[in-house]
Amino acid sequence: MKVFMLANHLIMLAGGIDGDKRPLSGTERWGVTLVGLGVVIVALALLVLIIQLFGTLFDSINAKQKAKEAPASEQKKPAPAPVKKAPAPPKPAPAPVQAAAPVTEDEEVIAVISAVVAMMSEADGKVYKVKSVKPAAGNGFSGRSAWAMDGRRQNVNHTF
Amino acid sequence: MLQILQDILGGLWETSGLCGLAADPWKLLMMFVSFGFMYLAIVKGFEPLLLLPISFGMFLSNLPAVLPEDMIFHAEYWNQPQSVDWLWMVLHDGGLLDKLYLGVKLQIYPCLIFLGIGTMTDFGPLIANPKSFLLGAAAQGGIFFTFLAASYLGMSAAECGSIAIIGGADGPTSIYVSSKLLDGADSNLNTGTIALAAYTYMALVPVIQPPIMRALTTKEERAIKMPQLRTPSKTEKIIFPIVVTLVVALLVPSAASLVGLLMFGNLLKESGVCSRLVDTAQNALMNIVTIFLGVSVGATCTASNVVNWDFVKVLFLGVIAFSLGTACGLLLAKLMNKLSGGTINPLIGSAGVSAVPMAARQSQKVGAETDPTNFLLMHAMGPNVAGVIGSAVAAGVLLSVINY
Repeated sequence: MKVFMLANHLIMLAGGIDGDKRPLSGTERWGVTLVGLGVVIVALALLVLIIQLFGTLFDSINAKQKAKEAPASEQKKPAPAPVKKAPAPPKPAPAPVQAAAPVTEDEEVIAVISAVVAMMSEADGKVYKVKSVKPAAGNGFSGRSAWAMDGRRQNVNHTF
Repeated sequence: MLQILQDILGGLWETSGLCGLAADPWKLLMMFVSFGFMYLAIVKGFEPLLLLPISFGMFLSNLPAVLPEDMIFHAEYWNQPQSVDWLWMVLHDGGLLDKLYLGVKLQIYPCLIFLGIGTMTDFGPLIANPKSFLLGAAAQGGIFFTFLAASYLGMSAAECGSIAIIGGADGPTSIYVSSKLLDGADSNLNTGTIALAAYTYMALVPVIQPPIMRALTTKEERAIKMPQLRTPSKTEKIIFPIVVTLVVALLVPSAASLVGLLMFGNLLKESGVCSRLVDTAQNALMNIVTIFLGVSVGATCTASNVVNWDFVKVLFLGVIAFSLGTACGLLLAKLMNKLSGGTINPLIGSAGVSAVPMAARQSQKVGAETDPTNFLLMHAMGPNVAGVIGSAVAAGVLLSVINY
């Protein structure tokens, strides 16, 4: 019986509440509160599931691509005789970059580091090479020097 | 001769602003109130980009004028039912601010602001950690529990909804909802007072939120360091706005215009092929709409709308809404922290109220008080931008449930 009454109230609520100047009944005020919050949570929970699904999908696609690329590049390195076209011979570029470990694939970070090194080489006339780029030890924060930590803290606190 | 001179001077006096001021001294009070808000915007830096146009709009609409054709804003036009004749009256007889206010009444400005916000928002932290959506949803508890509280004060559904949306800490959404719900409603409240309260509390985020954050979390919880977020691919960032628009429009069609424009702006940005449009949307368009929105909304703050108990109730319930939203987000984050085995810092939950990026900044600041090496900002940006979507969905729910 109670379930029937609740269903009846919800059906009435689905028709909408008049916005006129009259106080709301108990059912109306609790109905809007619970149904409203429920709909918001359901809508955003659905988005959590969908975005999570997309994330998993794209992660697996990226992992497969990396897996394909990794053995291909390993096979190319030891080959002494070039079968096809020469795979970009090492030029005396101001800042050639060689990623040492597969974990340092972040191209943006490498590009930034290379750019800074290139600027340095232009400034003092020496040629520098970036031989490897590795993530700092720990969780990324503990490996920073006190100066770096303070700089980052100031940046976060003043920029945002 | 003397009689003619006397008639001329009398006529001048009767049409002068001084005569209008003598007839309605409350206007003088409202002008001083507008000066107070100008002081807060200019000297204290409280949301100056919005509070200054709002306060100047308030000042302009309270300038004394006797003749209707001299008035820059006609508050009486906006309590009438909308029709073609009404629209003609506004366009033909209305002052400048009446015409600008049409953009609010027709819900154009809030949606355009959302377009600009979309071009400036990076949803990357939210895509990297989609669970943040739940924190954005929980923080909307402030809206619905305030609806409940307002209803117990004997307010109508339209008034309850308009006040409750302040809890979403989102100015354009508050204006969007209140302008629809209060349209033609028999109420002392209006969009201007709701917007004024919403933007005032958004400016007071650094004052309202930290005590609640400290009270609801332990020192150990505040010190939790969260693992670095993954970097979402460009494809994910492009698909995200389309998926969100689709899901929200299917579940809550009333929120489609707000969320749709927000996501359209974001798609323009993430696509990387519309740099000119992005530049216009986030700079020129955003600035123009902000000026029009602020000045015209401020104009609705006349003495009859502000000097009454209902405005006091708005202020009281507004701060309750804001505080409840913060508390709901924090409590869910605490629960998620327990369930995840201590990997989520509960402080990021308070950022679930929109107020981008002030709320996320508070998470960072309060976290750094406990451990200066703890960087929560990017983790808090996820719930923060989720709060924008959440408040738009909550607005859609209110508009669906309450007939206006």
